[in-house]
Amino acid sequence: MATTTASGRETGGLQLWRKITDNGGTWLYLVPALLFFIGYQVYPILRVLWMSFTDFHYLRVNEPVNWVGFENYANALKDPIVLTGLLRAAYFTALFLPGTIFIPMLLAIMLDRVKSPRISGIYKLILLIPAVIPGPMIFMLWKWLYDFEIGPINRFLIDGLHLFNFRNAPQWLGNSPLAIPAIALMEVWWGLGYHTIFYLAGLASIPQEMFEAARIDGANEWQMFWRVTLPRLRPILLVLLVLRFGTAMAVIDEYLILGGFNRELPTYSWTVYMWHLAFQLGDWFQGYAAAIGWIGAAAMLVVVVGLFYMLRNRD
Amino acid sequence: MKKELESNIESVLLDQLRRGQISRRQFMQTMIVAGLGLSGVRGLAASPLAQDTRPLTPTFYQWMVNLHPSLDDLSQEFGDVNFQIAPVEGFNVSRFIEEASSKQSTWDVYFGVTPFVEMVSLIESGAIEPWDDYIPKDVLDDILPAIRAECTYDGKLYSWPFLLDVIVQGWNSNIVKAAGLDDTPPADWDEYIANSQKVVDSGAAPYGCTFDPGGWRSLAPITHSFSTDVYYNLEGDPDPLFDFTHEAAISAIKLMKQMLELSGANALQPGTTDGGVNNGPDDVAFGSERVAYWVKYQNAPLQWSSNWPDPSALRLAALPQAKGGAGSTVFWTTGAALFKYGQNKEKAAEFLTYITRNPRIWQESIQGTETAHPGQMPPYASIYADWAANPPDWITANPWVQLVRTQLDAAKAIPNHAFSLQQFVIGRPFWEKYLTGEEADPMVAMQAAKDAVVAEIKKTT
Repeated sequence: MATTTASGRETGGLQLWRKITDNGGTWLYLVPALLFFIGYQVYPILRVLWMSFTDFHYLRVNEPVNWVGFENYANALKDPIVLTGLLRAAYFTALFLPGTIFIPMLLAIMLDRVKSPRISGIYKLILLIPAVIPGPMIFMLWKWLYDFEIGPINRFLIDGLHLFNFRNAPQWLGNSPLAIPAIALMEVWWGLGYHTIFYLAGLASIPQEMFEAARIDGANEWQMFWRVTLPRLRPILLVLLVLRFGTAMAVIDEYLILGGFNRELPTYSWTVYMWHLAFQLGDWFQGYAAAIGWIGAAAMLVVVVGLFYMLRNRD
Repeated sequence: MKKELESNIESVLLDQLRRGQISRRQFMQTMIVAGLGLSGVRGLAASPLAQDTRPLTPTFYQWMVNLHPSLDDLSQEFGDVNFQIAPVEGFNVSRFIEEASSKQSTWDVYFGVTPFVEMVSLIESGAIEPWDDYIPKDVLDDILPAIRAECTYDGKLYSWPFLLDVIVQGWNSNIVKAAGLDDTPPADWDEYIANSQKVVDSGAAPYGCTFDPGGWRSLAPITHSFSTDVYYNLEGDPDPLFDFTHEAAISAIKLMKQMLELSGANALQPGTTDGGVNNGPDDVAFGSERVAYWVKYQNAPLQWSSNWPDPSALRLAALPQAKGGAGSTVFWTTGAALFKYGQNKEKAAEFLTYITRNPRIWQESIQGTETAHPGQMPPYASIYADWAANPPDWITANPWVQLVRTQLDAAKAIPNHAFSLQQFVIGRPFWEKYLTGEEADPMVAMQAAKDAVVAEIKKTT
């Protein structure tokens, strides 16, 4: 095997091979993680991508699967339920994101100013309580709070404030314009403590000298927040925005539990439609459901790229 | 196509082998002649003949065990049963189908199949096989005719019926009496509406009546009270669909609108569990004693009245009649399906016979236990005949059983179709436009529901 050139320098291929063999132990240690990554991340993604270009129906066990090119995508883009579903998800996201980004930030700044570690600890503990309650319990709790008949909110509005009666009281969930705002409020409450802790970690990393220097320079509280705190929190803000944008657009559990499969409901989003198609309707047309999934993912990706650009580091 | 043909040949041969019509040698020879070569060995290996190596392994839905706690005890009593809880949520059977696609099954029997919900999917995917070769003839003939029809597809019994639910009327006798009404079931819908109005007018309760907004639990049974001949076939489709535009369905939706005016303002809203299907506003209204009359399957009023200060105020009876109508209702059974690639098939049939005819199950179901009162009823004619001839105390204490049984003679299940259940899910937003007043003409709303179902079928099948 020709391993060296006349000048004694190794060829590129050999260099690569040597790099791999020199780091053999490292690669060996990486194998479990790689297998996991390929099996649980790469393979499902590729499989769903393949499905989206086929007429794959899950229940047609003995029938061949045919390649249909972009037919599923073309049909999905013309499907009004997909568009409505995406708009519903976007509406929820538009209500949820500001609440989940700015309220915890405000709370974190206030908490950061509490000097007594004991009182600060109590506040943090109280804030974190919702974060440790399992999702289904949260949904049940809020479903009860919002219940038209026996929910404490309506009981207070009817019996306490006498603003409504049992015929015209607000319908918080189900087929109601209040449903999406009501679920967004629940979600903001649920993530409040968790997101506040994110910001507290960011605030702790800002050197106190920067605030002191700003004060000496005559900066007021607002200027310190705008010029010192906010720029230093930008990485946290970006992470939270991207993560929460993704989860908000792809919400499904809440919609299924609090809404169901009635297509008129504001909770029948593109994710619910995808699930409905893939696991309930007809022959379970998972090829079409996969195409809808990719369209949703592509729409989200465009926004995420925009967010990265807007919040890029300008230092 | 070729693969399907090979699979069919293999399946037929395995079936003949299992019945003793051919020997193992003949099986292998025919497989080779059919060009299937040694795949017959794989077929034999997957065949229950070669692999009855584990105890009978049934899988039950968790709710079945919650409602019928003695199921576990009875399984132990039967012996050599590996009792398991289904690893599925709601009505999703994808795990079973996935296993069948690789010609395997972790379980032998699936307790929890509801024919109109999922049976066709399980059959189409090849996950289950009929019981006909295993169920004793006397047991088969004892199944009430309407129930046998419900569990049959292509002339074969795919679901061994077990727990029977029927859409009935329930009422709170304390509210009814407080409204100055007789504590007897309204005989027809006119009386039902008049009584409900009187409940509201008298202030005995905020609402007169309510119903489950799921179409298979309200629109279909109320339609059946007018006529059961309300199904049609799409061209080339042998399985019938609900005809939303049938005059009986139009009469039903008009009646539901009258009922809605006497119900809570949230009566059409989704429930809190099972994808909005259960724990709905009708359950809450009846459970909190805010409504007098309720159209629902019998299990729900029994459950929701258990927390009343006076649970004995609950009354149940057959669904009211429509004047000149069929006097029918809708029922469904939750039964057991036999996994094609499972084992212990003969033993499964013995187990099913033992469980479904066990007096303890039925006494506990109808009388109730400390933890549950499902009120689900048996599918066999002989059990009702025995109760009629020699009524036990707990049957005398629950007169609704015989009232509901009587209506079973006219009752009809929603016919099996891949869209049996989903047609009511897809159509609901459209017929509800009439109920909410968004559409004034019921025929326009129901035609839209029918069209939406057809469009969805074309898209997904």
